[in-house]
Amino acid sequence: MSGEDRFVLCMLAPALAILGLLVAYPVGLLVFDSFFKVDTITPHIREWVGLKNYIDALTSKRVAESAMRTFQYSVFALFFEFAFGFCAALLFSALPGRSRWHRTVFTLPLMVPPIVAGLLWRFLLVGNIGILNYGLVHLGIITDPDAIAWLSDEDIVIYSVSFADIWLTTSFVALVSYAGLTNIPRDLLEAARIDGANAFKRFWHVTLPLMRPVIAVIVIVRAVDAAKTFDLIWIQTQGGPNHASEVFSMNIYQRMVRFGDLGEASASGTLFLIVMMLLAAAAYWKIWRPAHA
Amino acid sequence: MRRARRFNINGILVNAAALVLVLSYALPYVYLLMTSIKPAADVQQIPPSFLPAVVSLENFREVLQSSALPKAFASSLTVAVLTTLLSLAVAVPAAYVATQYRRRITTLFLLFALVTRMVPSVSLGVPLFQLLKSLGLLDTIPGLVLAHTSAAVPLALLLMSAFFEGVPKELEEAARMDGCTRFQAFRKIILPVMIGGIAVTALFTFITSWNEFLYALLLTSEATKTAPIVIAEYNSVYGLAWGAMTAAAVLYSLPVIVVTLALQKQIVGGLTFGAVKG
Repeated sequence: MSGEDRFVLCMLAPALAILGLLVAYPVGLLVFDSFFKVDTITPHIREWVGLKNYIDALTSKRVAESAMRTFQYSVFALFFEFAFGFCAALLFSALPGRSRWHRTVFTLPLMVPPIVAGLLWRFLLVGNIGILNYGLVHLGIITDPDAIAWLSDEDIVIYSVSFADIWLTTSFVALVSYAGLTNIPRDLLEAARIDGANAFKRFWHVTLPLMRPVIAVIVIVRAVDAAKTFDLIWIQTQGGPNHASEVFSMNIYQRMVRFGDLGEASASGTLFLIVMMLLAAAAYWKIWRPAHA
Repeated sequence: MRRARRFNINGILVNAAALVLVLSYALPYVYLLMTSIKPAADVQQIPPSFLPAVVSLENFREVLQSSALPKAFASSLTVAVLTTLLSLAVAVPAAYVATQYRRRITTLFLLFALVTRMVPSVSLGVPLFQLLKSLGLLDTIPGLVLAHTSAAVPLALLLMSAFFEGVPKELEEAARMDGCTRFQAFRKIILPVMIGGIAVTALFTFITSWNEFLYALLLTSEATKTAPIVIAEYNSVYGLAWGAMTAAAVLYSLPVIVVTLALQKQIVGGLTFGAVKG
């Protein structure tokens, strides 16, 4: 082993140790636990049950519903975040006087703790004192401030709780998109203009293809984050009313803490992990790689 | 001539649209600030008003004097500082060799860090709970620091790698010519050059820990619970004390926002760096 190799290993070792102890080992433990019947409070007493926890999880109606809700929440949030954020970025780059001031305001939500965003939106949406409905009455969209029960109507609550997410992360999409847009060579757009392409055509044939890797990164990062969401929803509804906003991560938490079923929580946690990995890998191969080919 | 005028109208439209967008975006947080300085009784009035009729610091007094919040702030701050120090101590050297000494092991290592970012915290929280329990670290500061570090190290690695990409290999070679060992070159030459990148990374890891909720919920209780946990408890323990809750939320989020504004340029750089360089 050369001196150089020794140096590389020495520099890597602490990080390897930390990631090994705090990520790799726990993930191993998670998979291991998922094959046992074991309680959260007494992890030393365990009984091998093979795939029973997985079968229970995959056949449970509540688990299936929470997985479905996670999907609804993520798609809804991602769609609006991306639409708002990307349009904001286009607006900013179209502003003649450089959009410093606008972007400053847009930086703020990046740092607002999710728990505060959730709390704030709950306060805006909550029955009786939620100011949003009064605003809608003012605008003539609804006639009565009690017309929409954002957080207590089981049919819409999963979408209502995503408002906080959309508000919180639109700025991330906007700023990353903006950075991508400013990296597009001006002369390419100019050449397209000279060739007679109108604004829409320039956007479609020049801007969008060049933005593809940036868009891919945004979609991957945000989709994974949205699917993992816990705190934003927890602070707004704790999964209620009647589990109508219980997403998958919350379901795992409930089973581990409230029902003390470590084995089943581990099986669901393992499934969750596998799905996320597959999702990220698919996004990587489908969107990101072609752009770099 | 016609062209110029059309551009002007366009410009006005774009400006107006951007203004509307930004204002509607800022309003919710402004409303939070406005609510926190209302007298507690006015917070729950129907219909709600956007601006306070009278300015009062009653809500702030309430949360600072008669709640678990001050102690929780101390916990949050301690955990965030220790997490930042530990994460940087392991991630900075690793990111350096991962970018400057490319080998199969370093590439795999960075890939592992990237994959770790995809792990749902709830999946890691379940076994971390067990691990800390067996080490006797549940509801302790070191225990939560370890949990937060598991999330902060991958982030710090990816950010620092992006910063180290820009460091020319010649820098280290020149130092070696002058008789430095590799370690000395790293410590005396490279680190001072990278101080800006390290500061941005430190800020990000600090905020990651400061904002973290799920691990804190799982792994702490009375002794070391952090600020977000106490704020969430206003939901249940104190009925719905909206006034106190908004004041606590402002105290918890405003310092971070002020720091963000002060360092806005570097932060946006750090955030968009990796994504755009791709």
